[in-house]
Formats: sequence, structure tokens, C-alpha cells
Amino acid sequence: MTTHRRFALGLGVIAVPLFLALLGPLFTGEPGPRATSFTLGGDHWLGTDFVGRDVWQQVLLGGRTVVVTALAATALAYLVAVPVALVSALTRLRWLEELLMRPLDVLLAVPSLLLILLVASVLSPGAAGLALLVALVNVPDAARIVRAAAGEAAARPAVEALRMQGESWWRIAVGYVGRSTMRTLAADAGIRLTGVLYLVSTAAFLGVGVAPDAADWAVMVDRNRTGLFVQPWAVVVPALLIVALTMGTNLLFDAALEKKGRR
Amino acid sequence: MAVVLLVFALTEALPGDAAVALAGDQPDPARIAAIREAMHLDRPAYERLADWATGLLHGDFGTSLTSGRPVTQYIADGFGPTLLLASLTLALLIPIGFGLGVLAARHEGRLVDRLVSSVTLAVYAVPEFALGVLLVTVLAIKLAWLPPTALGYGTDLLAHPAALVLPVLVLLSRPVCSLSRLVRAGMVDALASPYAAHARRYGVPGARVRYAHALPNALAPAVQQLARTVDWLLCGVIVVEALFVIPGLGTVLLNAVAERDVPVVQGLAVVFGVLTVVLNLGADLVAHRLTPRAEVAA
Repeated sequence: MTTHRRFALGLGVIAVPLFLALLGPLFTGEPGPRATSFTLGGDHWLGTDFVGRDVWQQVLLGGRTVVVTALAATALAYLVAVPVALVSALTRLRWLEELLMRPLDVLLAVPSLLLILLVASVLSPGAAGLALLVALVNVPDAARIVRAAAGEAAARPAVEALRMQGESWWRIAVGYVGRSTMRTLAADAGIRLTGVLYLVSTAAFLGVGVAPDAADWAVMVDRNRTGLFVQPWAVVVPALLIVALTMGTNLLFDAALEKKGRR
Repeated sequence: MAVVLLVFALTEALPGDAAVALAGDQPDPARIAAIREAMHLDRPAYERLADWATGLLHGDFGTSLTSGRPVTQYIADGFGPTLLLASLTLALLIPIGFGLGVLAARHEGRLVDRLVSSVTLAVYAVPEFALGVLLVTVLAIKLAWLPPTALGYGTDLLAHPAALVLPVLVLLSRPVCSLSRLVRAGMVDALASPYAAHARRYGVPGARVRYAHALPNALAPAVQQLARTVDWLLCGVIVVEALFVIPGLGTVLLNAVAERDVPVVQGLAVVFGVLTVVLNLGADLVAHRLTPRAEVAA
């Protein structure tokens, strides 16, 4: 398959869930009166869910939290990881580098979902808390990758020259080293977003960071499972949307990376 | 050791009074006091850490806050099904992952390769619960080939192999994809290398070149990935046990999280964390064994 066709495939797969997630809330009308749980047909196109709400309405509302939380978590992870990586790559103080990177190694050793559940057992995080947690889990890996790229850039003669010219630390770090890590960062961001989407939806499925009756695709899958025999649509539609969202993200970024690599 | 410290710090350093948080929405002063005493919250943190750590060394994980049963009993109860799931998955993962990878590399660029590569790339990122629920709907409910959950079978899952098919299938989905992609990439490189071409020129049969010469060199990155897979397998086990109602460690953990039963969560976190570290170390050792060159270079 050519890269262009793969790109188109990825776009096609991701279009529906992304459209529903971002614009869905605009199309929902007034929430109607609650009907009987797990019914099919009638006024409800996709039937009703476990507390008798219209499934289609919930589907329209439920994508935004998944997408927004994942994007926020990815951005937050880099917000922490990039400065840490840049400082530790450019500092000549050995202890400072150890202090910055060593704790991250420990964090890296603990399975990510376990860490999230561990914190969730003591606090009950909201959506923002979930984004923070997922970001925290992703910081060590992101920092290591950016650190490796920045370390390579920081060892270049150009940096020596800049230093001897008396350029400020800030200009060297952000203007030169930071800019030369952008490529690695862009490649890593796609992979990370895929991983974050996975973690956010899985955590929501397990009930972390969401209200038990929230309009969220992952929560819908979990809560409506009890009615799977009578009313499969309340589970199948959100599950399909999550599958399409994660699959499409991965296909899209893979095609984009390959394109870049070939150039 | 670091794992133990981290687990303790995470559950300890979080803001707020643990006892108040644990007592629930309608705090009852008597219950708060009871929890405080049970957790020895009146003593300084480092003393409690020392107590807990020495207890761990003796195999004493403390007792549950909600039921008063020792945490070790929880772990012993849940261990069987989880171990069964994990070992079954690993036993299938290695042949399927390597098989698919080698198959794709042999037919590089042709239909088989494109099919395997596209499918593995697509399934790779899909969360287990979404995939699992869809499989249950199609295979268990529409076609009624397999039981939808393991509910009612207890911990003796081996007696009901049909109930194991779907959980293992779902658990396999992600690791198989990543492993086979890595093996494919390694094999493609190895088969195009000068030594493989040289061996072919000597008239060494194709199968021998593939399995005796190329495969070992393609193995090292895959083994390291296998260690990363442990992380995924663990996430997967928690999700799959919740999805198929299997009474394993994941279910115990989720229940404990829901009931805010801190000692049980701590104990399980230590077990999971130590397991991950040990398996990672093991994989690193195997990878070193496979690539003696890396050792010299490093």
C-alpha cells in the first residue's frame, strides 16, 4: 500500500469518531424524559441505556471528554518533560542531571495503569486529575527520548561556538538545542498520543476520573455491559467509536512518520 | 526496594487525612478513629514505613481495612487465575508473534506481508476493553459459540477451557502486534545483510539461513520488547479480568481500589511492581546473551 493510501485510510477511519467527539455536543437537543432502561426502537434511534437515557444523545456527548483529556495529558507531559530534558542535557552539573533524571527512571519501572489505580485508591481524581495522572505516567519516557535528542544536539560544535560567542543560556537552550529536537518531538508525539488515548479510555472504563453516569464512550461501554443481551447498541456503538479513534490515530501517525522518514 | 518506597510514598504523600478520606462520604468519628488506629496514623510516617517494609520481608503484607483478612490471603486467592491467564498468553504469544513476524518478512512487500503489517498496525493501539466487548458481542452473543464471561466458574478455570478462549484472545491482541512488527523489521534487516547473502551463495538451504542465521539476530530487540510487554500484559490482565468477571489479582485490585482498602492496594502494587522489575531484568539478561556485541560497545 502506498503511503498516500495509508494516510487516506487513517483519515477515513478517524474522521467519524473525531467529528462526533468535537462537534457532537453541538447537535444534541434538550435531554428528553428518561425512558425505561435498555429498550430498543421507539423514539430512540439507538435505544436507551442503563438509566433510560437516549443512547444516540450520549454518543454525541461522550467523545469530547476522551479526546480532550488525551490531548491535554499529552501536552502536559511535554510541558514537564521538555524543560527537564533540556536542562539535564545542557547542564554541566552532574548532580543536577542525576537529580532530574534518576527519579524518572524509578517511575518508569512501575506499570502505568498500576500507578493510576494506586493514586485513584487514595484520591478520587476528576477529569483534570486523570489528565494530570496520565501526563505524569508519560513524563519519564518522553523526557528520556527528548533528553537523548537534546544530548546529541548539545554536543555539536555549533553549541560550543554559540557559547564562546557569549550567547545567553536561554538562547542556546531554546533557540538552538530546543529547535533541533523538534523533529524527534514530532515523531514521538504521535506515538505518545496513541498511548495516552489508550490509557485515558482504559482508566475511564475502570472508573478512574469519571462520574459513574458520565457521558463518556468508555464509561458507556462499562455501564451498559449489563444489558448486552437485550440492547447491544449501547455498548457496541461507543466501543466501535473508540476502536476507530485509536486505530485511526495510529494509522495516521504511522503514515505521516513514514512520509517524513522517506524525504 | 525502590518500588516499595514509591508505593508507600504515593499512597502516603497524597494530601488530606487518609483516615477521613477512607471513612467515606458520611464520616463517622468512631470509624475514623478505628481506621487511624488500624493504620497507626498517630505515629510518624517513617516508623510506619519501617514497620511495613520489615513486614514485607517476612511475607506479612498487613490486613485489609474492610474485611480484616490478611492481605496475603487476598493475593493467594487471586493468584491462580491470573497466573493461568498470563502464562497461557505468554505461551501463545511467543510462537504467534515470531511466526507472524517471520512470515511477513519472508514475503516482504507481497500480499501476505501487507496484510499482516496493516492488521498488526491497526490493532496495536486499540484498548482491550473495546476490542473485548466487540468480540463478546459477535462471538458470544450473536453466534453463541463461547460463554460471554467466566461468571460462575470460580477459580477453577482450567476445567472450563471455553471460558478462557476470549480472555486470552483479547490479552494477546496488543502484544502479538508489537512483537510481530519488531520481528518482521529485524528479520527484513537480517535477511538483507551480507552474511545472509553469503550463506545463500555457499548453498546453505533457505530455511537454515532463515532460522539458524537470521532469526537469532532479529531476536534481541524483540526480547527487549517482550519485557515492555509485561507492562501491557499487566494492564491487560486487570482490564480483561474486569471484563470477563475472572476472580484474579486484577479483580482483587479493582475491588480494593473501589473500597479504598489501602493495605490491599499497597500489597498488590508491591507484588506487581516487583514482578515487573524482575521480568525486565530477566529480559535484559537474555538480550545481553543474544547480542554479545552490544556489551563490548557499551
